Amino acid sequence: MPAWFDDFTAAIDAHEQECLVCEACGDRTLPPRQFCPACAATELTPEPLPDRGEILSYTEISVTIPKFRGETPYTVVLVELAEGVQLTGQLREATADEIELGDEVRLDTEPRDDGLALITFHPAST
Amino acid sequence: MVATIVSAASTKYDNYPESSSRELFGEAAAEAFDGIDLTPADLDAVYVGNFMGDLIEDQGHMGPLLADHVGAREAASIRVESACASGGATVAQAVQAIEAGAAEAVLVGGVEQMSLADIAHVTDALANAADDVYENEQGLTFPGIYALIARRYMHEFGVTQADLAAVSVKNRNNAVANPLAQFQEEVSREDVLESKPIATPLRLYDACPVSDGASVVVVVSETFATAHDLDASARILGTGQSSDAVALQDRATITHMPAAERAATAAYDDAGVTPVDIDVAEVHDCFTIAEIVALEALGFYELGEGARGAVEGETALDGRLPVNPSGGLLGKGHPVGATGVGQLVELTKQLDGRHPNQVDDADTALAHNVGGSGASTTVTILGGA
Repeated sequence: MPAWFDDFTAAIDAHEQECLVCEACGDRTLPPRQFCPACAATELTPEPLPDRGEILSYTEISVTIPKFRGETPYTVVLVELAEGVQLTGQLREATADEIELGDEVRLDTEPRDDGLALITFHPAST
Repeated sequence: MVATIVSAASTKYDNYPESSSRELFGEAAAEAFDGIDLTPADLDAVYVGNFMGDLIEDQGHMGPLLADHVGAREAASIRVESACASGGATVAQAVQAIEAGAAEAVLVGGVEQMSLADIAHVTDALANAADDVYENEQGLTFPGIYALIARRYMHEFGVTQADLAAVSVKNRNNAVANPLAQFQEEVSREDVLESKPIATPLRLYDACPVSDGASVVVVVSETFATAHDLDASARILGTGQSSDAVALQDRATITHMPAAERAATAAYDDAGVTPVDIDVAEVHDCFTIAEIVALEALGFYELGEGARGAVEGETALDGRLPVNPSGGLLGKGHPVGATGVGQLVELTKQLDGRHPNQVDDADTALAHNVGGSGASTTVTILGGA
């Protein structure tokens, strides 16, 4: 995995995850960015990113790419952590049948290959 | 300077594990040049839409390779890659070259050879159109990305899996009469709903197949057509193209497609027409949900209303706006880099009055081609000659 993502997931592991906030327009985005995607300004300041968010959508995947062969079925969730900041990750401690859109989940990471490469979410109650 | 289509041809979309991109492209081009008073030596340029030649065939540099294989070794040649919108982007580049006066005769083609690899590796190759780190490395697949769109869309607008299935039933059943289509069997809504899950709520029959094939159109300037006494089959009235974030998580919305709206607006303005002027459309239905959100982005339906098209028969062959009479990607197949050009081949036949699923009095037609899950979109509007 690229070094920037190693830094991003290590920060989650240390409960110090951050997003980038545009000084000009307030748009929030995820690293690495040199330009604000909303207004193209270059003054982007790290700010703390919540570790809890709401499920915007989810899917249980049965046919996958070689890297995840043998792990199906697994559930991927798209979660909104802060206004404008959404993150994709795999659901843990629950199946697709046990969640609904709008449920609160908690951000985490898991090791994969040589580093903390996988974004995961757990039901906030666990 | 209006770009004019003087010939259009396509291989049947199917699985050809014994073939190759050079053979498929050559086959389509040979048919296109057969019967017109133009030879490959007259071409200024050969533009080739192709997405995964380097991933499946270990073959990059498709521009000159394929120009050589269609007898145009010295023409300016280039491969245009914009994932599944490679074909539509290729058309746009050719039109711009002709409008700018940089070329007068261009072979615009697309080709993909996908069936050489097993399904897991094809899925892996297609995943190159997504954000590798934030999506693929997290276990998300291409069907999975469209499944996230579908789930949210169903939630927001009260649409059911049966409503999605209606799109697949319509397009697969349209494909039966099209000899160039991969699928030649009728399916029922139950067949779709009972097919195996691939990424819930999407099932196998909500998805287009893995396909091989090539499509080409010969595009020339009007003055070139007149000088060479070439009969026009269709005129390219307008093109539009726009982009969005590659990763779904970076989009402002996942239930509609702003890049397609922008591409459509540009194409309508360029052509001087509005959605009500369109008589027939080929839209990018790689998954059932994709056609629904496309119909909204193209201005045919309000947001949240797009499912009505297939459910109420408005987009059927005999409906008020026939959509994907070719069978679409769901029924005709989706050789990724060829698809956007293949749409123009189908629409040229509609405007020429020789399509197997002919739409009555078709005079203005629209093609919509998407790369990734909506990160690149082209819209092309054709008029009858």
